[in-house]
Amino acid sequence: MSALTNYVMTTKKKATLKRTTRRAAAAKRPQGRRAQNKAAIRKRIVTAALSLFQTKGFDATTTKAIARKAGIAEGTVFNYFRTKEDIALHFFEQEVDQAIAAVRDNPRLRKAPIEERLFALVHSQLEFLAPYEKFIGAAFIHALKPASPLGIFSHRAQELRHRYVGFVQELLDESMPKHRHSPLTFLAPEVFWIYYLGALLYWLHDSSPGKQNTLAFLDRSLSIGVSVLKQGKL
Amino acid sequence: MSSQKNTATGRAFSMASMGAGIAGSYFGYLLQRVFLGEAKGKLKLKSTHVRAARRMADEMQALRGPAMKLGQMLSLQTGVLPDEILAELATLQMEAPGMHPSLVRAQVKGSLGREPEEIFKEFTSKPFAAASLGQVHHAITREGRHVAVKIQYPGIRRAIENDFSLFRTFSKPAQASGHIRKSAIDEIEEQIVAETDYLREADNIEFLADRLAPLSFVKAPRVFREYSSDKVLTMSLMTGRHLEDFLAQRPSQKVRNQMGAHLFELFHFQVYEVEALHADPHWGNYLFNDDAGISLVDFGCVKYLSHEAAAYLRSVCLYPGSTGSAHFRRLLETYYEQVGEKLLPGARRALINFAENFYRKVYPPKPDKDQLFDFSDAIFLRDFLRESKNLFRTKGVITEFIFMGRAEMGLYQTLHRLKARVPTSQIVKKIFEETQVH
Repeated sequence: MSALTNYVMTTKKKATLKRTTRRAAAAKRPQGRRAQNKAAIRKRIVTAALSLFQTKGFDATTTKAIARKAGIAEGTVFNYFRTKEDIALHFFEQEVDQAIAAVRDNPRLRKAPIEERLFALVHSQLEFLAPYEKFIGAAFIHALKPASPLGIFSHRAQELRHRYVGFVQELLDESMPKHRHSPLTFLAPEVFWIYYLGALLYWLHDSSPGKQNTLAFLDRSLSIGVSVLKQGKL
Repeated sequence: MSSQKNTATGRAFSMASMGAGIAGSYFGYLLQRVFLGEAKGKLKLKSTHVRAARRMADEMQALRGPAMKLGQMLSLQTGVLPDEILAELATLQMEAPGMHPSLVRAQVKGSLGREPEEIFKEFTSKPFAAASLGQVHHAITREGRHVAVKIQYPGIRRAIENDFSLFRTFSKPAQASGHIRKSAIDEIEEQIVAETDYLREADNIEFLADRLAPLSFVKAPRVFREYSSDKVLTMSLMTGRHLEDFLAQRPSQKVRNQMGAHLFELFHFQVYEVEALHADPHWGNYLFNDDAGISLVDFGCVKYLSHEAAAYLRSVCLYPGSTGSAHFRRLLETYYEQVGEKLLPGARRALINFAENFYRKVYPPKPDKDQLFDFSDAIFLRDFLRESKNLFRTKGVITEFIFMGRAEMGLYQTLHRLKARVPTSQIVKKIFEETQVH
């Protein structure tokens, strides 16, 4: 991560925090019938697309095929998403939002140690992705291409990253008193994002039954990471 | 992957992903615990021994697990540890990292398909005991039964296998020189890896519960197969006190004798009659009841003996003639031949010395009617360890008896702590008489 993105990240952090809370509030607000219909169609498109991404592959899937699968006109798809990359990004936004909500809304986790909360966050992301593992593998490669709209450096993906990093910062602030913050704590949320990408790669390669090794990896690496963070040095 | 399986380095490469070093080693976990200082507070060495020796044992305790078991064997050979400590090591448990509730949930869901709260009416997220390679939680089934749910730490089997393949590479020189036998490493790995399969443990429980039924003082749990898998084992909750708590109540000599006799009978009944034994002598695996009953828990390590092995032990235990006789020698040689081992002269001498200096004393072949062996004196324990070491040194240990030997050491250690006086030979004779038909 460059110094520039770090700078952008820290200045954006507050805004991001507000945005995440607004989103959570929006989700709770009762919806009108029209909005409900729209949400249902959006969901249908995403489900159809994901199933095609998973079976046919991301590259081979066209918006036409998605429309057919969802049982709607191709034009309707464009009312919701400009491209199939948009659909994929929407899916990743859902992944992050539901994971944040899973940790934030779980009363049991409120008093849990930071390593458990971070574990719950990543685990809930992976659980969300699990049915589409094949597609995630392809998307991962896509995401590393600099020009790809799915790429980790694309504008929308950056925004998603800020939301995620902001939440990790929130978790850290809650469980570690400010005065004990070290330069490592300052970097930690950004590093955690990279850690998550590593964990995702590990998970994709994990052939153990029930992805046992990923659970062990998350547990053990998080306990090391948090311990290093608390000591304030490597 | 199978093509690379034979070399440890190939194995390491096959793990491929970058986190393998962290999640792929049991030994690594143990080091991590030492590094993070997690192990300190949990150390409990439960007896009164010299302070320096205790500190040494603390270090060894930090290496619980397969490494500890291997270490135990090696230290037997080299004699680097005091005898009392060796005996204590036999009773230590293979530990796994503690799991936080979120990990417990993930593990149960991954293994049984549902979260514990969906499966059980009640599930206590805080564990009440550590188990071999996992932890035990209290739960109530939908039918209202109180159960113990044993949950395994994820990925532990692979981690252990990785460690063993590395250990095999590192110990090549020692294997070449004959100091560590390949068959011994195989035996230890097989048993330890078997412990990671809770379905096999469920089989063990049902097998032993059935075969131990003639011993009215022994209780074994019931398995709930519908809530069990290879990583989660649900059993009925057993009652009783751990040895420590039992002793803290200052039981009378009579009660201690009775308990000792029961433990002793249980061990020998398993060897001669069942031909399989609960071979993990960790104290947490035995619960003592006020009526001198014993509840068994944790059946991960059950050693099944061959019929020939049990017959051989029967022929040498309580051997009535002279241990120096040609007949006794033939008994030993015949069995070693049977298992494809050559009994070297040094090992033969060690075996005869073992019989003479330990078994003859503890198990007199022609006992009086009121014969009692007093286990309170530590001399017998030292005799046992000295003779075991000699047997190791002269390469006379038969692979099949490695785990039984550890269980036997655990038994003596427990009897010593109980300060029990036990009619040893009478009990063995009684078992021989009752099971003559076999």
